[in-house]
Amino acid sequence: MKKSTRMIIGFLLLALLFLAVWLIERAMGTNSMVITVLKKGAVYALIAVSMNLLNGFTGLFSLGQAGFMLVGAYTYAVFTIPMAKRMAVYQYYQGGIIQFEIPFFLAILLAGVVAALFAALIGMPVLRLKSDYLAIATLGFAEIIRAIIQYDKLGPITNGSNLLKTYPTFTTVLFPFVVSAVCIGIILLLIHSTYGRAFKAIRDDEIAAEAMGINLFRHKQLAFVVSSFFAGVGGALLAMYQGTVQANAFKSAMTYEILLIVVIGGMGSVSGSVMASFLFIACSEWWMRFLDSELMIGTFKVPLLRSGFRMVVFSILIMLVVLFYRRGIMGDRELSFDMFRRRKGVASK
Amino acid sequence: MSHVLRLENITMQFGGVVAINDLSMHIDQGEIVALIGPNGAGKTTAFNCITGVYEPTNGAVYFNDQCIVRNQPTGRMKKLYAGDNRTPCEGPRIAMTPDKITKLGIARTFQNIRLFKSQSAFENVLIGMHLRRTSNPFSATFRLNLQEEKQMRQQAMELLEIVGLGAFAYEKATSLPYGQQRRLEIARALATQPRLLLLDEPAAGMNPQETDELGEFIVRIKDDFKLTVFLIEHHMNLVMDISDRIYVIDFGRQIAHGSPAQVQDDPEVIRAYLGEEEA
Repeated sequence: MKKSTRMIIGFLLLALLFLAVWLIERAMGTNSMVITVLKKGAVYALIAVSMNLLNGFTGLFSLGQAGFMLVGAYTYAVFTIPMAKRMAVYQYYQGGIIQFEIPFFLAILLAGVVAALFAALIGMPVLRLKSDYLAIATLGFAEIIRAIIQYDKLGPITNGSNLLKTYPTFTTVLFPFVVSAVCIGIILLLIHSTYGRAFKAIRDDEIAAEAMGINLFRHKQLAFVVSSFFAGVGGALLAMYQGTVQANAFKSAMTYEILLIVVIGGMGSVSGSVMASFLFIACSEWWMRFLDSELMIGTFKVPLLRSGFRMVVFSILIMLVVLFYRRGIMGDRELSFDMFRRRKGVASK
Repeated sequence: MSHVLRLENITMQFGGVVAINDLSMHIDQGEIVALIGPNGAGKTTAFNCITGVYEPTNGAVYFNDQCIVRNQPTGRMKKLYAGDNRTPCEGPRIAMTPDKITKLGIARTFQNIRLFKSQSAFENVLIGMHLRRTSNPFSATFRLNLQEEKQMRQQAMELLEIVGLGAFAYEKATSLPYGQQRRLEIARALATQPRLLLLDEPAAGMNPQETDELGEFIVRIKDDFKLTVFLIEHHMNLVMDISDRIYVIDFGRQIAHGSPAQVQDDPEVIRAYLGEEEA
């Protein structure tokens, strides 16, 4: 198959997927569980791919994703709350000091830009660290930014530790799908460009990469900034999905959730991250919900089922994945036409 | 006459261990120069000093008369310093990073092959071309550099053909046999468009026939790419066949220098390799 035909078929499949999502929304109604899962899954897919760019493709073990999402979510919310409602939202801060609003799509872009700026600043000292130290430093950043945003003195901007709400949210499930698809598309283009090859070279062997004339710091910085940009956009989408934003929700547990998606999907596989995020969200929000409620079959009370048991099962599943299925769903391969063809070839032999 | 590479009184000391002791050498345009010596003599350390992986304790390295590395003992090292040459190197400290040095035109291969494991042979060579790009992240992402990309791919393919790996372009680099991995490393180094090529034991693990072929190959690429070659090697036949000059070091010190014939008969060299005769 020629490259151009493949691309056309790929885009057609994507369009078909969008159509299917749209039809599901029409059929099931906006508030059904499927739609919730699809919305959140699309948002998490973008965030997971942005983290994979860093952890899977550039080999930088960063745990700052929740921090950049937080920056993105707040940037979005702060600038899009309608003027009329600012007084009510910022009730403890006399309506806040930001007395204007910008269109929501501009705010999403701005969310990415602000997160990227933070990344550029933090990257300068932090990216000189290696592996575990980098993880600790970025994790520290995420925790610090969470505390700073809740700082009372910043209240006129961030509303302190109070909720931000009444900003524009999703009107259709297609919105997060389209934004995520475009962003993931851009990340894919970057990964397959000469810079993406340099990222992978750094991941495989830093010393050899440097000997090939690749400026380690500049390329790590680039990966970090781009990853954070899309984490920021993802944060804005998450804010739209949730309808309210509060800094306290962006705990390091959120980063671990995303790291989990990346690992389950396969480090270094974009399609793996996307699939894993829908799977993960479906499991945690929907399929495994029953584990959290008591269940009676006749007079028999099923043991163990109670609030919180879901997390126990989840942890066990994760351990199983890490022990026996370490490369995740996709390893470092991508979903492609060739994959199916080769499988068919093997099967027919 | 100016030299392509000049080392001036390089001393490299790790803690109390002097790995290279007052080493000075020069390499001229178009030469093939070999650096030999018993195991642990400091050959690879010398390479690492030239390419900026290590910063020498004392001394300077010049590439086409441009100083790329210069240092003198400072701080704690002042007391610890145990090199033979006691005069500290004059001039401000210069420590270029390996990527800058490669950009200037020095490429290298590694003793313990360091290919990009997860990538194909073709991609390995493509990565070597990254440093000569004119695109920025934006234009590369949005494919505004199609012309350049096409050219890079074409050149990478040509390089693979030259080293005889054209048929294995899409094989994973690590799945290639050992000898071909070494050739791939050379192709990748050539992709950076070097003027000086440093080869660290290019024939290690090769059989005599492969070694002979490699010798011819090195001479050929030297002529075709107008290179200067500096190599570390243990296969004496290869070294004697292709080198114009040879430097011999032992315990970090230069013990002999000259044409292959001169070096072969040097009593110091024989002593270093075969050991001293009991009286």
